[in-house]
Amino acid sequence: MRPYGAPRGEPLVDQLPNLGREAEMLAAMGMDSIDDLFSDIPEQVYRTEPLDLPAPQTEEEILREARMLLGTNISVDSRPSFLGAGLYSNYVPTMVAMLATRGEFLTAYTPYQPEVSQGMLQAMWEFQTMVSELVGLPVSNVSMYDASTAAAEALTCAVRVHDRKASQKSTIYVSDLVPPHRMSVIENYTQGAEIEIKMLQHDDEGMLDLAAAASAEGSCAIYVEQPNALGLLDPGLCDLKSIVGENTALVVGVQPVSLGLVAPPGDYGADIVVGEGQPFGIGPTAGGPIYGLFACSKAYIRQMPGRIVGLSRDSDGERAFTLTLSTREQHIRRHRATSNICSNETLIALMGAMHMALLGPEGIEKLAQRNAGACAATKAAIMAIDGIEMVHPNGVHFNEFAIRLPRTTSDLLSFLDEECEITGGFDLSQWWPERENELLVCSTDQIDAEDIEELAEGIRDWLEASE
Amino acid sequence: MSDLFAFNGAEGAGYAQPDPVSNEFEIPKKLQRNRLPRWPRASEPEIVRHYTWLSTRSHGIDSGFYPLGSCTMKHNPRVNERIVQMPGMNDLHALAPASHLQGLMAIFHEMQEMLSHCAGMDTVTLQPVAGAQGEFTAMRCIQEYHREIGQANRDKVIVPDSAHGTNPASAAMCGYEIIEVPSLENGQLDLDALRAVVGDDTAAMMITNPSTLGIFEPDIAEAAEIVHKAGGQMYYDGANFNAILGKTNPGLMGFDAVHYNLHKTFSQPHGGGGPGAGPIGVKAHLSDYLPAPLVVAEEDEEGEVWFDWYDPPKSIGKVHQWHGNSGATVRAWAFYRRYGRDLEKMSEHAVLNANYLRHRIMNPSKEVRETIHAMPVDGAPADVVKHEFTLSMTPVKEATGVTGKDIAKRLLDYGYMAPTLYFPMIVPECLMLEPTETESKEAIDQFADDFLTILAEDPEVVKTAPHDTPVKRVDEVWAARNLVLRHPMDD
Repeated sequence: MRPYGAPRGEPLVDQLPNLGREAEMLAAMGMDSIDDLFSDIPEQVYRTEPLDLPAPQTEEEILREARMLLGTNISVDSRPSFLGAGLYSNYVPTMVAMLATRGEFLTAYTPYQPEVSQGMLQAMWEFQTMVSELVGLPVSNVSMYDASTAAAEALTCAVRVHDRKASQKSTIYVSDLVPPHRMSVIENYTQGAEIEIKMLQHDDEGMLDLAAAASAEGSCAIYVEQPNALGLLDPGLCDLKSIVGENTALVVGVQPVSLGLVAPPGDYGADIVVGEGQPFGIGPTAGGPIYGLFACSKAYIRQMPGRIVGLSRDSDGERAFTLTLSTREQHIRRHRATSNICSNETLIALMGAMHMALLGPEGIEKLAQRNAGACAATKAAIMAIDGIEMVHPNGVHFNEFAIRLPRTTSDLLSFLDEECEITGGFDLSQWWPERENELLVCSTDQIDAEDIEELAEGIRDWLEASE
Repeated sequence: MSDLFAFNGAEGAGYAQPDPVSNEFEIPKKLQRNRLPRWPRASEPEIVRHYTWLSTRSHGIDSGFYPLGSCTMKHNPRVNERIVQMPGMNDLHALAPASHLQGLMAIFHEMQEMLSHCAGMDTVTLQPVAGAQGEFTAMRCIQEYHREIGQANRDKVIVPDSAHGTNPASAAMCGYEIIEVPSLENGQLDLDALRAVVGDDTAAMMITNPSTLGIFEPDIAEAAEIVHKAGGQMYYDGANFNAILGKTNPGLMGFDAVHYNLHKTFSQPHGGGGPGAGPIGVKAHLSDYLPAPLVVAEEDEEGEVWFDWYDPPKSIGKVHQWHGNSGATVRAWAFYRRYGRDLEKMSEHAVLNANYLRHRIMNPSKEVRETIHAMPVDGAPADVVKHEFTLSMTPVKEATGVTGKDIAKRLLDYGYMAPTLYFPMIVPECLMLEPTETESKEAIDQFADDFLTILAEDPEVVKTAPHDTPVKRVDEVWAARNLVLRHPMDD
């Protein structure tokens, strides 16, 4: 029972259960006022004026304002969108958000007490298993922040493992087609360990120069992406491990959906596989929260970043799960930890696990086929337009490809946006200024024949309008 | 028991998909996948039941009291979940033109302003996605700042021995050497120890206030002065920010940089380990180094406000591929709008509840006291605590052999999440408790009564706890020795 005198109608009454009961609780402690509780804050740092913020709002008012604000955004689902470049339009089955937002999952902290966290621990162990199966490596952690931090920490991990025997000390090689924003994350994460980054070149067809890649032998790691940032699948990467040798980690970044059709990197010698888990489990969601995949071979376990779940048993000998290998982590090893990561993206990984479990083996294959099929159809429709060229006419693409335009990409994108209500793709000059007339077109499973026709028509109209 | 990999139904069971638009593609032979991943084959009802069963074997704030110290496990308002699943949020692309993201950028901008104001900082970036990443990002900014002003020799970072493990780990990842300073007997910062280690090689001091003992550092301003005099920067770990909103702020205390844990103070649900969000705020001299991009508001000739991206001129670049955990930013926005200027009331109630819980545990009635084998002692002596407090179970262990861990496990039987265990390391047999502002007086009373009951129980019952949980005490050593990190599939 609330005592008389409790505030009525105050917006916070549904959030603070002890509103109006302060005096009662203070009296129990022999105090008169809330101020007594803050008497330990020295006067010189004590604030007296109220926060300069708006008045509190009720749930209804907040919802109305959110609807108004978010309603002004233009989302990828509201029109044909060919924008990918690392973040992909997808369909997440209804079940996923419904189950993942069950309070027992949503409102839990890291499972430090395994006896009452078996559900999330088992779900993450299953996630680890499904990622392991997908990429062809035995070990997966429960997620990194995103693909970029996963790649960066894979490289620092590889240096810790290989530096002792490396002839090129603290040196790593990175594909020059890694997008600049990911390169920037890699640079921020590797500079502290004074790791030297050397770049690997590509030929005109966008294939890694394997002869040049041989120079990576004796370094700690080599990082490449399959498909690469221009959407190309590169068969040459299958030979990379034998070129660089046992003592150099092969780290491969993947678009995980492609692995429904494409060989898992573990099968061609990758030591660590990273990638953006996002297409499994969650929409592009303005870039976050998403989750980074991190899988590795056993040699890297003790140097890997992030949390990992292991099978165990309880005091009755029954099957149980728990976080394990914690002695690598910051809360135990402090400045000698393998990483500072603590909070990760578990809930989003859980959503990914649910999505993967629902797809099943044939479902992931079909999802990959839908992507590759939509991409092939888009490519065919665009190639039929005079004046547009493929940047890599002989390339094999998964769900993205680059085209070259007669004029700037930004001009085409504005035209498609304003005249046709189409989001036409990604302007590659934003990453590489020399690619000012190049457009990266992405077709995921969410693109249908009508969308493709609309895009082709829009491009034709643009070409005509500029003649 | 439900085993995901035991489901082996029809091909394509689960989620049925439309057919591909085209089959006119070919993967080169060398790159073809030969064997599909051995994922389960299960229908939707089977998957729903599997995950529902799993959820019944987990404990969240929704399930019961969650006094996990330093983690600020407060109620998560559900309207926030509804908002992030609305069109115009879940389906936004981070690389879409700014004209497609104006509503989102308005929220980002408001959050940058609000967080700056609350912490007494000048500029905020929302990009870091966790507290630890916020620490790392801020230390990178400080590092570049020192390089720019010709003081690259500053290669040491000072942390108190009571600091969160992420502080030294984050600084070490930037390449800093860590100097740990011991605390005083009473858990407070030792200014003499600090004076002894600062110098012209000091890059920064990282500290949380209130400390991990839940005590407000009385000498914080003087500590800042000592570090600043030596030319170092002051970094504020915002894990304990829930205690002080509106009452004081890191800017007033003399800090140059701070991270916020949106998943603590601003109620982003922690999701069993994440996502979090760890925006950072900095004073003007560090603003130019923040990760790119920030959101700025511009006004056109007609007075219309337009939001745009802005790259700080000396930016360290990126720490996350996109704009950080945007969904967490939007949830935190909805949370802060609920409180508005009354965020101060949030902190008042967090502190009220913590002090009340401490009082209830440490002052049992005479009748109850007589049943208890031994009482814990305060981790740090103080008249008042802030949002959390520590208890040392050493007297209990000496009297009965029951450890802090045993008590933590026994609390699970009563339907509670255990407090944070054995942290901070400077308190022996430590339990760290943080009730947050969203627990009712009744819930706190009940927890205190149950806690005292455990202290009076047969020590054997406590030592062998938990008894009523989905599994009994889990053997962590077995897990580490055997390292079964995935389903074996027995093929």
